[in-house]
Amino acid sequence: MKRKSPATRFLISLGVGAFLLIASGHVDELRAYQGAQVAIYAIAIASIVLLTGYSGQISLGHGALMAVGGYAAVIAQIHWHLPYPLTFLIGGIAGALAGYVLGIAAARLRGPYLAGTTLALAVGLPSLANQFHILGGEQGLQFDVGTAPTWVGKDFTQYRWFFWVAVVMALAIFWLLRNLLSTRYGRRWRAVRANPTAAALTGIDIAKAKVLAFTLSSAVAGLSGALFAMLLGLVAPLAFTLTLSFTLVTGAVLAGVSNLGGSIIGAIVLVAIPELSNAVATHLGGSDRVTANLPGVVTSVLLIVTVLLAPNGPKIPRRHK
Amino acid sequence: MFVSRRNKGGIIAAAAIAAAALVTSALPAHAETGVTSSTIKLGITVPLTGAAAPGYNKVPAAMKAYFDYVNANGGVNGRKIQLVIKDDAYSPAQTLSVTNDLILKDKVFALVGTLGTANNEATTRLVNSHGVPRLFVNTGFSGFADMKKYPTTFPLFPSYATEAKAMGKYIADNLAGHKVALIYQDDDFGADALKGFATAGTSFVAKIPYSALSQADPSVVGKWITSIATAQADTVIMFGVTSATGALAGGLYKAGLIGKVQMILGSVGSDGTTLKGLLGPLAPALAGSIAASFLPSPSDATDEYVNLFKSVNAQYNAGAAFDNNVLVGMNSAMLTVQALRAAGANPTRASLMKAIEAKGSTWASAAFSPILYSAKSHVGYTGYWFGKLGTDGNAVSVDGPGKYTLYTTDSGTAPVVKSSPARTAMPAKGLPTN
Repeated sequence: MKRKSPATRFLISLGVGAFLLIASGHVDELRAYQGAQVAIYAIAIASIVLLTGYSGQISLGHGALMAVGGYAAVIAQIHWHLPYPLTFLIGGIAGALAGYVLGIAAARLRGPYLAGTTLALAVGLPSLANQFHILGGEQGLQFDVGTAPTWVGKDFTQYRWFFWVAVVMALAIFWLLRNLLSTRYGRRWRAVRANPTAAALTGIDIAKAKVLAFTLSSAVAGLSGALFAMLLGLVAPLAFTLTLSFTLVTGAVLAGVSNLGGSIIGAIVLVAIPELSNAVATHLGGSDRVTANLPGVVTSVLLIVTVLLAPNGPKIPRRHK
Repeated sequence: MFVSRRNKGGIIAAAAIAAAALVTSALPAHAETGVTSSTIKLGITVPLTGAAAPGYNKVPAAMKAYFDYVNANGGVNGRKIQLVIKDDAYSPAQTLSVTNDLILKDKVFALVGTLGTANNEATTRLVNSHGVPRLFVNTGFSGFADMKKYPTTFPLFPSYATEAKAMGKYIADNLAGHKVALIYQDDDFGADALKGFATAGTSFVAKIPYSALSQADPSVVGKWITSIATAQADTVIMFGVTSATGALAGGLYKAGLIGKVQMILGSVGSDGTTLKGLLGPLAPALAGSIAASFLPSPSDATDEYVNLFKSVNAQYNAGAAFDNNVLVGMNSAMLTVQALRAAGANPTRASLMKAIEAKGSTWASAAFSPILYSAKSHVGYTGYWFGKLGTDGNAVSVDGPGKYTLYTTDSGTAPVVKSSPARTAMPAKGLPTN
């Protein structure tokens, strides 16, 4: 089977994008918000899939890297007065820098040690905001991307505009990553993941490949953090909790961790779970305590079922070439 | 290793299905969102799960209990009040998600008692753009009184600056000549307090900042105690959260300083029930501490509001222990009922907010402080009284049980005024008739 060329992929992305953007005009605000959420989660999950699925490294701290991106974007807006599309870029660059430093340490660590290190990052990093005045402390900093530009039309809701921005970003990121994974970098990462010794014997600099993967993954996480800040309208330590990091890993596992496209499914599931469990709880008429905890239970059960029955995700196993 | 064409088709199909799933038809417009001929729907977000949940998670159930009590007695102009409760686990991202649900899906008439500074901040854009009234938010951040930025928001609690000024006045009047140390949370919460103390002219032998979550670290508490001892302070103000109060009490006890150093606690960190849970057998170490409050003590058996809320709690709140959180919830609920009544026979969001601005300052409320709502101000309470914690963890007024001296001021430079509380009497059976 012939691989698709970057140009073909671009056309597909364009088609999907056009469809989604037109569809967004026919949904209510809540769905537009959830759509934007899906797109942002999909980018964040893709960053984990890139790291874990393709280069074989584990991170439980991607929420912290999202925080780095989010804070960088907001600070770029507040102090440098950059237009917000540029702040997203700053978010990505900041994520990449943080990821590069972390990646150097990560390349020396494996398995549980790496998981532990990144976990510590997820716990510790967001509370740094309380230490430095510029980061706005506990109540955080506001991020105002303004309303939709006039050229998109009148009566364009805020959430619909966020959906547009997030979808365009997501498609661009997926297109870039998909193409990148078809290059020698992608092949190197897979070789490192499959068998580090064999990869080293073929002349691949394992540490370099791992650091590069970590940097790139963090850049993507940083960008998603900036988009996340856009959706929330602020950054605050409490917005980037350990729960966020775990949620992303959950999404990646549900997606089948080595499957870039699965990120979208993972993201849809993450957004759908609270919605569905809420509907179930309302139907059953349980107490508030049950209602509040049901999403957690559903997620946990789904995670266990996925790992037991479909460790590669809900999709048909990929063909190896 | 590449995704096969079939799978790629799958991805596109999934995206298409997702998009299709997003398509729903718009609902027809209502006369006023969240109000029918027989119901009024309100919404609240609070942490019901997670680290911040203990204590706070009792607020919405207490509100609901009071609403149920009012509903059982005819409701508001024949309408029953429904309260939709959403858990946000204290995460602003989660708050925004569930507030989207409340406003766009559940279509509530107004939000009431939403908890947390950053949490309320995160939903401000949504709340403002839909013009949803946000009543009696559970946070002391003075910023929410800014009517330009938060036109539909009505904070209720006095600001931290107000509290610090009142505390400064209390110290000047009653503890002159004492060597006072100040421990404060090193963020806007503490910054607000420092501003207040500076205005009050309170001088400290030591100022000890701590970062929000560091009170769990024993070495941090050790440093507090060393600083207190080095400065030879005989009085220490804790302007922080309840767990920090617990940590300080534990540290003083270990250093043998209980009884030698007078503790003064801010309203945020002095809930007796929570402290008892935190300190266990050490709880009596807090006895004799001075605490600032704006609501009456939940243990004050002479207070008509406390007694009414206790009986409502017993009847409608499934056996929840009566404490400050229940009191806060029921008090906000009582104000909400008065606001809904004042909004007219066919309440609209605009008429609700107008009613609060026009009449809110006259309504019955358990707090001794007057309420300052007007067309020009969204500041709620402005005053504190001081009590001493007993061995049971409950505060009794320094003037004796049931007698209160109120310290009233603003967040700025106005002087602190002492007065006897002149509270609006509770309506019969606690059922508003305004």
